[in-house]
Amino acid sequence: MEVERIFSDIYGGRLALQRRQYSPFCREFCLGCPRLSLRSLTAATCTVWLVAYGLFTLCQNSMVLSAAIFITLLGLLGYLHFVKIDQETLLIIGSLGIQMTSSYASGKESTTFIEMGKVKDVVINEAIYMQKVIYYLCILLKDPVEPQGVSQVVPVFQSAKPRLDCLIEVYRSCQEILALQKVTSGSP
Amino acid sequence: MTKSHLNMAYRRVNGPGQSLTSILSHNNCGIHQPCRTGTHNICMVSDFFYPNMGGVESHIYQLSQCLIERGHKVIIVTHAYGNRKGIRYLTSGLKVYYLPLKVMYNQSTATTLFHSLPLLRYIFVRERVTIIHSHSSFSAMAHDALFHAKTMGLQTVFTDHSLFGFADVSSVLTNKLLTVSLCDTNHIICVSYTSKENTVLRAALNPEIVSVIPNAVDPTDFTPDPFRRDDNVITIVVISRLVYRKGIDLLSGIIPELCQKYPDLNFIVGGEGPKRIILEEVRERYQLHDRVRLLGALEHQDVRDVLVQGHIFLNTSLTEAFCMAIVEAASCGLQVVSTRVGGIPEVLPDNLIILCEPSVKSLCDGLERAISQQKSGTLPDPEKIHNKVKTFYTWRNVAERTEKVYDRVSREVVLPMDKRLNRLISHCGPVTGCTFALLAVLNFLFLIFLRWLTPDSIIDIAVDATGPNGAWTQQYSYSKKGEENKEISESR
Amino acid sequence: PYPEPSVRCEVVGWQKVLYERQPFPDNYVDQRFLEELRKNVSARKYQYWSVVFESGVVIQQLCSVCVFLVIWWYMDEGLLAPQWLFGTGLASSLVGYVLFDLIDGGTGRKKSGRTRWADLKSALVFITFTYGFSPVLKTLTESVSTDTIYAMSVFMLLGHLIFFDYGANAAIVSSTLSLNMAIFASVCLASRLPRSLHAFIMVTFAIQIFALWPMLQKKLKACTPCSYVGVTLLFALSALVGLLTISGVGAILFALLLLSISCLCPYYLIRLQLFKENIHGPWDEAEIKEDLSRFLT
Repeated sequence: MEVERIFSDIYGGRLALQRRQYSPFCREFCLGCPRLSLRSLTAATCTVWLVAYGLFTLCQNSMVLSAAIFITLLGLLGYLHFVKIDQETLLIIGSLGIQMTSSYASGKESTTFIEMGKVKDVVINEAIYMQKVIYYLCILLKDPVEPQGVSQVVPVFQSAKPRLDCLIEVYRSCQEILALQKVTSGSP
Repeated sequence: MTKSHLNMAYRRVNGPGQSLTSILSHNNCGIHQPCRTGTHNICMVSDFFYPNMGGVESHIYQLSQCLIERGHKVIIVTHAYGNRKGIRYLTSGLKVYYLPLKVMYNQSTATTLFHSLPLLRYIFVRERVTIIHSHSSFSAMAHDALFHAKTMGLQTVFTDHSLFGFADVSSVLTNKLLTVSLCDTNHIICVSYTSKENTVLRAALNPEIVSVIPNAVDPTDFTPDPFRRDDNVITIVVISRLVYRKGIDLLSGIIPELCQKYPDLNFIVGGEGPKRIILEEVRERYQLHDRVRLLGALEHQDVRDVLVQGHIFLNTSLTEAFCMAIVEAASCGLQVVSTRVGGIPEVLPDNLIILCEPSVKSLCDGLERAISQQKSGTLPDPEKIHNKVKTFYTWRNVAERTEKVYDRVSREVVLPMDKRLNRLISHCGPVTGCTFALLAVLNFLFLIFLRWLTPDSIIDIAVDATGPNGAWTQQYSYSKKGEENKEISESR
Repeated sequence: PYPEPSVRCEVVGWQKVLYERQPFPDNYVDQRFLEELRKNVSARKYQYWSVVFESGVVIQQLCSVCVFLVIWWYMDEGLLAPQWLFGTGLASSLVGYVLFDLIDGGTGRKKSGRTRWADLKSALVFITFTYGFSPVLKTLTESVSTDTIYAMSVFMLLGHLIFFDYGANAAIVSSTLSLNMAIFASVCLASRLPRSLHAFIMVTFAIQIFALWPMLQKKLKACTPCSYVGVTLLFALSALVGLLTISGVGAILFALLLLSISCLCPYYLIRLQLFKENIHGPWDEAEIKEDLSRFLT
């Protein structure tokens, strides 16, 4: 079962949330950011080249131009490989744990897995971010020493930064699974 | 004060997505939000808040608590204190924003008049604030918030907690800035009549828009306990910061004068400050180590324990807008001896206080009167004094009266930009007026830029912790299941 | 500038107390509002002639600088023999010394407990040292250009006038700094004179006119105000005549400056008093008027 809904991020950009339900204990949320647009790519490239050409007219050194080409190429590669995240996925399996995957535009994927025994709760929190105050979803990890305490806060959807309505949707699904998990693990 | 945890309790609303979007469609919130009758969304702004300690801080906290109790939504905005930054929740869902702004001097932030606009505007919009209530004329952030709020078209209230002279250069400058800051503020609150006179003169205000609402003390915190004191000797208690303005120099004259005259007289001095050294010198010079105890800085909760050890409370302040200390002391059943400065004569009735001129001789005379009354047993019972004093000042009363100010202010219109500029130019003098009118225009352009960058419609509305739809107030009616989900109110 | 407080008639009178709940709104303005306001409590009434009299100190100091410069010019031009200046200076110093004790009948000397022998000693020490070092003074600033020396002297003399103790109680006043600047200016100027004897005599003269002469004036002013006025007039006149022999325009300008300081400025001061509005009230920080140091000594 797959449902797709459109939300927006904190800058007003478009975000697509795909919700796949495999079983009552297993759900996957997929936040897709808009792809790298040709317009912004052209704009960035043009700026770099204009600057390079300006420098070239000043110092008459053709090294500047070739350097500019390398800079744009390497910058684009680096951006696609390390910065631009196309899709963030949150997979929650009641009996197993939570897996967060971010896929970069280059195709690189990085995955974090948190086993259910460590998860204390999933909550929405507020933070001051740049010149904004935003909501974010985070996973609270249990403190191994003190069961009541929280040892670490792991933010989810760090790069997409969806707005509150989207977060609430994800949050409620997670809570449903966590509650089911509690019931089943509480009464074996 | 306890740092509490908030269960965000999104589950409480049945269809939060719908209700949020319905509010979101109403996106011109910054300009004219129709005020719901009865309750207000209040934002208290001041540089001074817990963990800093003092009169302003406890005023903001107590007033906010009582306003929440009366069903208003209250948030507090202050600057970050060390590691305490981000958003925190205090008792009964009082939300505090600790903004990461640079502290310049004496816990007051630096101001450029513009740099705080993006954050403050974001907060005002997301919290749907209708009234900005700034505190303390020493706080740059409070003035900044007033300035931005007027640009955004929000109602503004200002509380002045301090007195200022007119003579020296620094006060001439600060008074000018206050004139600018208050000339288009809707309403001003002062803590005593003397403070009102002072503020009206300093900021050249119409006295009709200045209300007098005194500070209060929590009478349950300051109860007498006559068994804690030693009745074989007479103990004089002084609790204040040890600085020049509190008249510690006078105290250094009083201590030897009276200790030589009365062998059964002891002093307890609580507080810390640069003038501690002269008290230590006096103690050394007159060999009074066993009779004058210097306690150093006191925690707020220890103040009562120190007060109840004494018979007489001495206040030597040289200037004071209200003076909470003498009310606290009287509430603990002590006979109060104080200088007659500022708003002090208004605070306590004549039978509870002995007022003296700010000189060693006059204060010694006053203290001797109190000592002889104590010896002859003509002083009233501490319990009686307490019962009387506790009726004078309560935070509930303060909140009620402040609420009236809010009601009045919410019916007023905020000056539109053109009238505001006219007001600035006509009211603050040609040079200052024009300068600040220009700054106001720049601020307005900056605001338009910010609205273009992040329109109000894409700012999430904050979930109310307090107020009519407060998650916190409805938390307890919600089923106990919610307890399992603890939200730590820690920002990244 | 403030609107009249509105007067409302109520059965119960308003009290300026906070501990009672009063049947008035919180923003009520009573007719007693601001009744404790006082204006110009410590303002002084000035009498024109007394202000003119007080301005004498400034006139004297300006004239001292003028006389000093005139004498220097004469020396520089070679129109004044250094021996002659030394003789006159010594004679007038002796006269001044005797006068200094005569004016108050020797009470000042008794109070300070200083003997004549001590005075003579310090005078001798000073003269010997200056004489011994005068060749050094002469060659000290040889490598510095004359224009720099003149500019420096002008600044130093201006500084002397600014920091001089005219009797005002202000932070800027510093009589040591003022004297030092004057002596520095004199050393600068002396180094441009033809011979080291000239330099020695110039510095001695600077000491006389910038250090000793103001002391005598102060005493004159305190004990015999009438003769002080006479001396000031005479001194100003001699400075003017001296200046006239050098430059007519300079003399006229200097005379105008003296006149405006002694006559116009006092008039202006008194006129401006009308606009004084110093506000006092119960909100003022109380002043501690007693001397509290006695408890610590």
